[in-house]
Amino acid sequence: MKQRLQRVAAIVRVDFLVRFRRLSTVVVFLLLCAFAYVWIPAPSTGRTLIQINDHRAIYNSGAIGLGTASLGAFFVGLFGFYVISNAVRKDIVTRCGLVAASTPMRSGEYLLGKFLGNLSFLFTFLGGFMLSSMAMLLVRGEAPLEPFVFVRQYLLLTPAAIVFVSAVAVLFEAIPFLSGKLGDVVYFFFWVTCIGLAVGAQSSHPGIGWFRYFDFTGFGFMIDQLQHALHTDSVSIGASTFDPHKEPIVFPGLSLSHEWFWPRVVSTIAPVLLLPLATLCFHRFDPVRTKRVAERSQRNWIGRLQNLFRPLSRVVVGLLLRPGKGSLPSAMWNDAVLTIALYPLVLVLFAAITLGTFFAPLSRSLPIAFLGLALVLADVAARDQRADTVLLLRATRHLREDFLWWKLGSSVLLALALCSIPLVRSAVMGAWPFCALLIGIGFVAAIATSLGVMTGNAKAFIVIFLSFWYLVVNDAGTNRWFDFAGFYGKANVSTAALYATIGVGALLVAQMIYRGRMSRS
Amino acid sequence: MSMLQIESVSKQFRGGNYGVRDVSLELKSGVIGLLGPNGAGKTTLMQMIATITRPTSGRISFQGVDVVLRPNDVRGKLGYLPQDFGVYENLTAREFLTYFAALKGVRGGTRVMEMLENVNLHQAAGRAIGGFSGGMKQRLGIAQALINDPALLIVDEPTAGLDPEERVRFRNLLSEIGFGKLVILSTHIVSDIESIATEIVVLKAGALLTIAAPEELLRLCEGKVWQSIVSSEEFDRLRGSLKISAAVRKGDGVHLRFVGPQPEIVADSVEPELEDAFLYLMNFGEAGA
Repeated sequence: MKQRLQRVAAIVRVDFLVRFRRLSTVVVFLLLCAFAYVWIPAPSTGRTLIQINDHRAIYNSGAIGLGTASLGAFFVGLFGFYVISNAVRKDIVTRCGLVAASTPMRSGEYLLGKFLGNLSFLFTFLGGFMLSSMAMLLVRGEAPLEPFVFVRQYLLLTPAAIVFVSAVAVLFEAIPFLSGKLGDVVYFFFWVTCIGLAVGAQSSHPGIGWFRYFDFTGFGFMIDQLQHALHTDSVSIGASTFDPHKEPIVFPGLSLSHEWFWPRVVSTIAPVLLLPLATLCFHRFDPVRTKRVAERSQRNWIGRLQNLFRPLSRVVVGLLLRPGKGSLPSAMWNDAVLTIALYPLVLVLFAAITLGTFFAPLSRSLPIAFLGLALVLADVAARDQRADTVLLLRATRHLREDFLWWKLGSSVLLALALCSIPLVRSAVMGAWPFCALLIGIGFVAAIATSLGVMTGNAKAFIVIFLSFWYLVVNDAGTNRWFDFAGFYGKANVSTAALYATIGVGALLVAQMIYRGRMSRS
Repeated sequence: MSMLQIESVSKQFRGGNYGVRDVSLELKSGVIGLLGPNGAGKTTLMQMIATITRPTSGRISFQGVDVVLRPNDVRGKLGYLPQDFGVYENLTAREFLTYFAALKGVRGGTRVMEMLENVNLHQAAGRAIGGFSGGMKQRLGIAQALINDPALLIVDEPTAGLDPEERVRFRNLLSEIGFGKLVILSTHIVSDIESIATEIVVLKAGALLTIAAPEELLRLCEGKVWQSIVSSEEFDRLRGSLKISAAVRKGDGVHLRFVGPQPEIVADSVEPELEDAFLYLMNFGEAGA
């Protein structure tokens, strides 16, 4: 027993060290702290963290604790998954997993170690965030710091989210078909559904009240507590405007009522039950089950669909492929064609976008088209890292220095081809809809390329774009700033300028980072 | 007394291909060289012995313990270094080794430092592995394989990417370990094993071609290794039909060394080397030879 605990402790320790020694961890942590600064605006700016019926809540430990804890729970619950869901994959890639599998370590011990590693990482991360938020209270607070009240907000909201995301990450990594890009997308919708059900169980759908026992996000609990404490539905958390003429309200913070005790306990513990399931599905690094990603992708349903359309893609690729002239545009063209060869479903997506454009208004068809487009583009700039062809490319003319522009060109060509019919239709509608769509396409291609080059994987872009896309679709044109590609005809010159600037900025940052890497290598 | 018994072991993959087909072996202590071209089934056979993957049929037992039925009993006595072994770049050598020591149930920093000294990495113990050369990483790999003082050591293509000096050092290290233990070393570089292997297992296309001591292998192709000097034109004509192990262009023509039965050209029979024997077996050997 003692040896087993020592093995689990060793796995947790190494996981923790490996993660916290990464520069990217420090960068994400600093970004999150910086976001807390924006999230908690100074009341003198006319904006506040918590607004109740146009009153602002005094910045005390309860208000700032709740505001930052809810932000933390959101970040950990959604983005946390994408940060931690590579622990097993890393062991496959480095082959350290093969060595671990040849030791007396049990599979359950390994997965428990990985789960606790995820847990300790996220708890430490969020703990650091909490401390920096406490510091914000000292800077912008209007009441003395009450550490226990502050910590209580975090304890009530975040542990369930942390345990949930840690366990789901282990489960998804143990199931081969969920361990890749499909799992990333599935998790996003899974998480959004969890939030929807938790909130619905409290307000609009009392019939699913039992779901409060599975309120992993903590949002259902938070909404219920706010409604009871403030006797209103009109509460806003996040930087929002308030009426300065109305008296500020003192919000004492969340507390655990008797009726919520067991739901919170169950929500925190229940995800642990996923671990035995993960152990059953775990491959224990058997190369027959892990070695060939390509083989595996052919076995899952996406792979089978791809294979179905492969003969068609071969014909199309044969027609489109041009012998390289050694120029950058020619390399861009061939890389775009390579995407069709790798993912024959791109042809199906093209057909779907074309048909959708004919039979549905652009406000309906374009959001779906962009969802598909994003999934295709996510891989373009990151695939060479995964396939280990980077060194080969660096020895090729143009591609070393101009890697980012090459991938950008390839992505833009693909995006233009996929959206050619929507572009024609928007051009018929007028010059401005056409320009807005063109800028939207350029924006998506630029962000996909920048993040692909910076991170070397498709994950960052997928999660950031899906989150953004979710906001855009739910906003449905109410706020013109979200209408980045003119889906709802609300984008104006400022909107277009904003997204063009963000796109160009992201590319410049990515190019700077890429150049830095090149000069070091 | 044999330490490892492999009885009619096969590994069949999805789609019907065999990685290893009906291999039977009995291995005593010492350094065993596993020789074969790429795709011969060396890695698959080693992974089955190392309890990483299960055989589709057959039985493997180490010191009388069934590897498939009681894998954990075997894992306690096992050291394994996989091919293309990677590392956690931002750990130090000491942290990395401590991690695998804990997984193997070995306690104490003394053993870790002892192993680092054995592989001459003690001075780099506190350095991040990311800054190590390929040879240093490989030495760290062998250190993790040896940390539990294994009775069975399996090393898969360990010398790939090492410079000549590192290779020699590595060979000597394995040779020292080989007393009283079973060391299985796979490679397709014959020179890696010719000086240290007590027995050589030759695999081809998943099947066992032969198992023999190096001197027996040499005897096997006595009178089947030839040397000749031919003109360039003749060399171009012959290169398709002869199994050439060396060809050097010199002033008097092309100096050829090849294996096979009595050739039609004028050639002298020469002393075989292990590389010749391997080439002969690959081209003229049959399973079970």
